[in-house]
Amino acid sequence: MMHLLLKFAAICRSGDLRVSTSEVIDAVTHLQWVDFSDETGFKAALKANFAKSRREQGNFDRLYHLFFHEMQTSTALDPDGEQTVEQRQIITQLQENEMLTDPIDSALIDFLKGDPAAFLQEIYNLENREEYSSPALKSNLGQLSARLAVMLRINALKGAIGEANTGGRSGDSQSAERLLGRLDRAYKMLTEDNRPNNDALKKVRSNETHFRDIGERSFAALSPAEIVQMQEIIKKLVRKLRDRMGRRYAAGSRRYLDVKKTLRHSGRFQGIPIEIKYRQRPLKKTKIIALCDVSGSVWSAARFMLNMLYSMQDCFSAVHSFAFISGATDITEIFEKYEADKAVEKVLSSRKIEFGALTDYGEVFQQFRRHHMHLVNKRTTVIIVGDGRSNYHNPREEILADIREKSRRIIWLNPEPEDFWHTGDSEINTYKAYCHEIRPCRNLNQLVDFVEDLVL
Amino acid sequence: MEFESIDDVMKRLEKAGYIASREIATVVFLAAAGNKPILVEGPAGSGKTELARALSTCMNRKKIRLQCYEGLDEAKALYEWEYAKQLLYTQMIKEKINDLISEADTIADAVERIADQEDAFFSERFLLARPLLQAISADDPTVLLIDEIDKADPEFEAFLLELLSEFQVSIPELGIRKAKHIPMVVLTSNNYRDMSDALKRRCIHLYIDYPEPALEAKIIRMKLPGIEQRLADKMIVVINRIRELDLKKRPCISETIDWAHALAVLRIDEITREAMSDTINVICKYRSDADMVKASMDRILH
Repeated sequence: MMHLLLKFAAICRSGDLRVSTSEVIDAVTHLQWVDFSDETGFKAALKANFAKSRREQGNFDRLYHLFFHEMQTSTALDPDGEQTVEQRQIITQLQENEMLTDPIDSALIDFLKGDPAAFLQEIYNLENREEYSSPALKSNLGQLSARLAVMLRINALKGAIGEANTGGRSGDSQSAERLLGRLDRAYKMLTEDNRPNNDALKKVRSNETHFRDIGERSFAALSPAEIVQMQEIIKKLVRKLRDRMGRRYAAGSRRYLDVKKTLRHSGRFQGIPIEIKYRQRPLKKTKIIALCDVSGSVWSAARFMLNMLYSMQDCFSAVHSFAFISGATDITEIFEKYEADKAVEKVLSSRKIEFGALTDYGEVFQQFRRHHMHLVNKRTTVIIVGDGRSNYHNPREEILADIREKSRRIIWLNPEPEDFWHTGDSEINTYKAYCHEIRPCRNLNQLVDFVEDLVL
Repeated sequence: MEFESIDDVMKRLEKAGYIASREIATVVFLAAAGNKPILVEGPAGSGKTELARALSTCMNRKKIRLQCYEGLDEAKALYEWEYAKQLLYTQMIKEKINDLISEADTIADAVERIADQEDAFFSERFLLARPLLQAISADDPTVLLIDEIDKADPEFEAFLLELLSEFQVSIPELGIRKAKHIPMVVLTSNNYRDMSDALKRRCIHLYIDYPEPALEAKIIRMKLPGIEQRLADKMIVVINRIRELDLKKRPCISETIDWAHALAVLRIDEITREAMSDTINVICKYRSDADMVKASMDRILH
């Protein structure tokens, strides 16, 4: 049993679940108390120890099914068990085959034997490989071609099994078929998407009307006079947000006794401390990191979003703003130096931003991670404004997962109408799995809702 | 061991008014047997807090509840010195202190003499025990409910680690307090933010989802014994269809129970269009949600 559990823990680890030694120990202890013949109990005990959040449960279920049902764990339990002599013979024959020298092959052969750990690791590496492409010549082919290489190895192995089968006796076609079926499963695992369960995602569709007409029209359809009016409204909004934050801390600030102050005040009453003074708690600093897409597809909205970011930076001390198209450009300084209109103009004509380039979210995230990740900590709210249209480049969602882990919250504002979200090159579906909150934001009413709901 | 078997857990929880699925019962059983805290996740209203209440009833233990919020700190969660009381006492026994140091020759000696009495001021008497300390120092075993841990700050989460793994807390003036009895700890989270790995490692995890239709029907019949089988079944079908809609807040078991109550009070025994629109406010907590349900009424009822 112990052996089986360790094996399963290893598989969970290569399948991107974090299982620590202490959790394995707990699981071993817990399994003493459950009845093995009752699978619900057995699975629940393992699940409670190995998948410690809702997000991981989907992945756990997949691995559990793979290991305990599809692999049948015959070899892990006892080597002479279910796997037939013929099957083992074929595998030995495969191993002797000189053609199969690739490291992927040995992972696949382990998979055939009933141990998917190495293969899962291989898939994990595929999904998380770093790509350094030159900015001039971009492609997302690196990951695809690596996947293709694995697929080719699977096919080669299939061919080898066929050969081994016809070369040997003809009676064992059934075992060969079973092995082929297992390879099909490996193939499927390679192509299936494995995104975390994110049903805690807060999806907001606000229908509330704060302003008639001006509030309902999309950002693109506003006249210059209305734009000025709108900027006023945004400014007021953000100020209101700041006031709300201030109140929240003031309410909770009567806490610790301030000995010095109390003694000083007691001097007036012959040293009797009649008035008790409390220490003021320092206000908690909230950090905001905002990433704003300024590419052509969101052009009209970008202006307002930048305006909102400007007001935020004006009100809160720790705001870092970035504009991006195909690389993250720090615009915090521009916002600090110039007043609102000019700052937005400056950003939209900045030479640091490649306005001619195609939007590439993967590259943006990668640059952000390389240069600015140190800004993110558990106090940081990350706000991303963009339509998620990445021109079919590699979306690099694992970086967003990384940011999620380090930050407090990720909020995605999408200026595109919701009906278009999942069409064409939009990766919003991919990114959705790593956000805490996602909302459409294409007119003033929705923007007002966002700022009013914002808890920092 | 507190419970004899998983079935025993189910039976006793049911007696306490909580119908648990086998999975829930297993995790509760393991947590009780291994003295591990349970971290419960699930949508709002799915019965996370209720589980803690039922546990305290069926284990016959006192429930101590700590509601988490932003800005919650040790002073509110663990203990606090009662400064006002300390000062008051100091004033009242001023004479006594003067007596004590009147014989001292030097200031150093006086300080030494007062220091001998320090224990009197930093003792249990001036200590205001908050939920966590109460749970640890209680004479009988307790059930400690730490509600909505995801609302608290990350610092507070880190502060909990000592308590959850060692079942002890350190108070600088008094030293380390070890738990007299290890409390049964239930932490609940609505997933507002992700918990740290360190916290997760110390707990075992349980996800409570919307219940299976059969289980939900059982729950309703337990809460409202008089309800007709046919009506209850229909209600479950309707509620599950409403859950499929894209709502801001999906109805949970608590809403189903409230709805059943409302129907009983209004003496409605057939779910019709009219009955639905009369009671829709019990099921949906937002106006936009209610509108959406009304718009798709045909699909829901048939």
